[in-house]
Amino acid sequence: MLRMLVRRLALGAITVFLVSLIIFAGVEILPGDACTAFLEREAQGQLLENCRQELGLKRPASERYLEWAAGALTGDLGVSANGQKPISELVGYRLRNTLLLASCSMLVGVPLALLLGVVAALWRDRLADLAISTIAIGAMTIPEFVSATILILIFSVWLGWIPGIVLTSADAPVAEFFPEILLPMMVLTFVMTAHILRTVRSSVIEAMASDYAQMATLKGVPYWRIVFRHVLPNALLPAINVVALTIAWLLGGVVVIETVFNYPGLGRMMIDSISDRDLPVTQAIALIIASVYVGVNLAADLLTMIANPRLRTMHMRKG
Amino acid sequence: MKRRLISACVAALAMAGTAMAEPKGTFRQAHETGSGAQSSLDPIAKGRVFQITEKLMSRLVRPDMDGKPSPDLAVSWEANEDATEWTLMLREGVTFHDGSDFDAADVVYSLNRVLDPQGDSPARSAVKMITKVEAVDPMTVRLTLDTPFADMPLQLMDYRLRMIPEGSGDTIASTGIGTGPFKLEKFDAQGTTVLVANMDYFEGPPGVARMEIIGIPDGQARLQALLGGQIDMESGITPQQRVMFDASDRFYIQEVPTGNWRGFVFRTDVEPFSDPRVRKAVRLTADREALLALVEGGNGTIACDTPVGPTDQYRAEMSCPQDIEGARALLAEAGFADGIDVDIHVATLEPTWPAMAEAYQAQAAEAGIRVNIVQVPSDGFWSEVWMKKDVVVTRWNERPADQALHEIYLSTAKWNESYYKDEAFDAMLADARRELDFDKRKALYVKAQEHLQETAGTLIPYHVTKLIGVTSRVQNLDPVENMSIRWYKITVAE
Repeated sequence: MLRMLVRRLALGAITVFLVSLIIFAGVEILPGDACTAFLEREAQGQLLENCRQELGLKRPASERYLEWAAGALTGDLGVSANGQKPISELVGYRLRNTLLLASCSMLVGVPLALLLGVVAALWRDRLADLAISTIAIGAMTIPEFVSATILILIFSVWLGWIPGIVLTSADAPVAEFFPEILLPMMVLTFVMTAHILRTVRSSVIEAMASDYAQMATLKGVPYWRIVFRHVLPNALLPAINVVALTIAWLLGGVVVIETVFNYPGLGRMMIDSISDRDLPVTQAIALIIASVYVGVNLAADLLTMIANPRLRTMHMRKG
Repeated sequence: MKRRLISACVAALAMAGTAMAEPKGTFRQAHETGSGAQSSLDPIAKGRVFQITEKLMSRLVRPDMDGKPSPDLAVSWEANEDATEWTLMLREGVTFHDGSDFDAADVVYSLNRVLDPQGDSPARSAVKMITKVEAVDPMTVRLTLDTPFADMPLQLMDYRLRMIPEGSGDTIASTGIGTGPFKLEKFDAQGTTVLVANMDYFEGPPGVARMEIIGIPDGQARLQALLGGQIDMESGITPQQRVMFDASDRFYIQEVPTGNWRGFVFRTDVEPFSDPRVRKAVRLTADREALLALVEGGNGTIACDTPVGPTDQYRAEMSCPQDIEGARALLAEAGFADGIDVDIHVATLEPTWPAMAEAYQAQAAEAGIRVNIVQVPSDGFWSEVWMKKDVVVTRWNERPADQALHEIYLSTAKWNESYYKDEAFDAMLADARRELDFDKRKALYVKAQEHLQETAGTLIPYHVTKLIGVTSRVQNLDPVENMSIRWYKITVAE
């Protein structure tokens, strides 16, 4: 178990390193640099020269990457190319805001998805299942920015109940994000619930058809006892992995949602920093998101192992 | 109980009475946070957020509702005989937001800061003819120029030339201290910047108590914020979006004709556009009415390749109908009887560029000009494509006539995007600056624009009319270009 953990951590570190390399190369390949992005039409002659000198853009890319990597290893993420501010300070609040949005959506979405998934499975092919499954497929196929725009139109423009766009500053206290956070939260919950409930539904159906469930039925165990004692504990295990993937998606993939709602989180900052060619900020965010992906997946695997004795011993025997 | 009710009524009346004179309510506006983390309150820095500085700081001279110079911090001005020396009389009794008095030393400091070659200010080009700024006495400033310049007050109207306290250059980027109608309470370029009424403003207390200037980078999000009533004003409304506002009584739309334009640049230093006949031919093929209708929904004014806006006092009135036969004849004369092939480089940086290029492509085809549209990325457009490729799209914001003609067409201009070199044209501009008589000066500027219509490498089909969406609660918002709006006049209904 411990050896497995160490191996997974090492693999994770390599993944994060590769991601940072790819991101760096990707932003380097884009036309223009931090100076031409900022100066636009004035990017000529002396002004451009001074700017590049100041930001240290004249050195070769490999040298700049190595310097950044060395800093990142010691926990120093560097200084934002544009604002000359320490990145840890800039990213801190954004990370908190993204976590806030993600955890609010999770708190509503995960229990809701589990409940709906189980209901859909137990009443398979009945009205409840049809309704839930249809809406879920709709939620998965409608792009987030479309459902976001429709929700803004309904709740903010027509009804005027909730503000449509988040205008709170990035460094405001958490309480100030309410009620503005409600609409982005609804969109995220909508999509997330759909993904999780479909997995839950199919695994519950599978478990209900399994030998041990049928055995229990034949033995005369009451229906609800079968569901709660035998089916659900087994069926919900695969859901852990889906939930983990969803957490990772919430932290890294909400770029579109954050842009549509003007939410001051990591995703919007990533977009801004790429268009400013602010490499240090882009790198730092990529690092955070990649680490979250690796970390959450590792945690999910461990959790699955702890919950499932068979997997645990299998790994122990192998490892 | 009854007594209480009466006293409550009296109190309410008394409050209403004082509230008449008091600034009240909050006006909210968005900005694009175009400079990201480099955003600043320094009015002359590249990263200035002008939606904020224009409310915090005053200029020496400001445009009136017709765009002509009118007093701001300078109450009057006069030139010497050959217009190489300008004397400005300053407004008495003005104080900065930090309580210090405004006088000539602040003007000398503020202008010298713009002129400092080390300072790299983009505003420098507007006033670089000034060689010396001196305080004659505490309320009088004299500007010495290196060339006669009859329209110096026009240059001083530039939206960046705002007066700051002497010696505040190192801190102005975050303090934003000026003499304007609003004072800074909190600066947060990416979030919400809060301004409060300056009760000591020299035109009297402003109409609203508080302004919130909010950073919303995404255009769609700004539109949603306006529709949801979270901001009160948004200037980038497209003709397609207009219908949403016309149908609602919660908003009104202001139409503001501007000198902003988009167009095509044909480099005059490369084949075949080095031949003025070819340049004229590519301009003659444009059906400007159709381009305006197709691309901007008719919101604009036809421009016959002049960069001078429709409201500018020096605008040349010209006509420029489409002339396919004329274009064919000119091309044949220049040795291209079979037509020419043109690669136009288009990005989506300006959302209307692709539509403009496609509409022109169809029009030009009639004259045997085979336009091929080359899509290029918006990233790095200004550094990798513009002024590098032979034919590109371009866009410019409004500038006073003299500045527009100088910055885009003078042989030595650094933004001479068409590489246009014409001694006769340069001489006309120099003569105009020297001419003190308004009518003669206007005649010279008009002649220069007519010269451009014949020879320039730029195709300017129209000037854009800006559509500004405003919530109905806002009153007294001047229906003019941003730099002329009197922000202290605005009031909002509760």
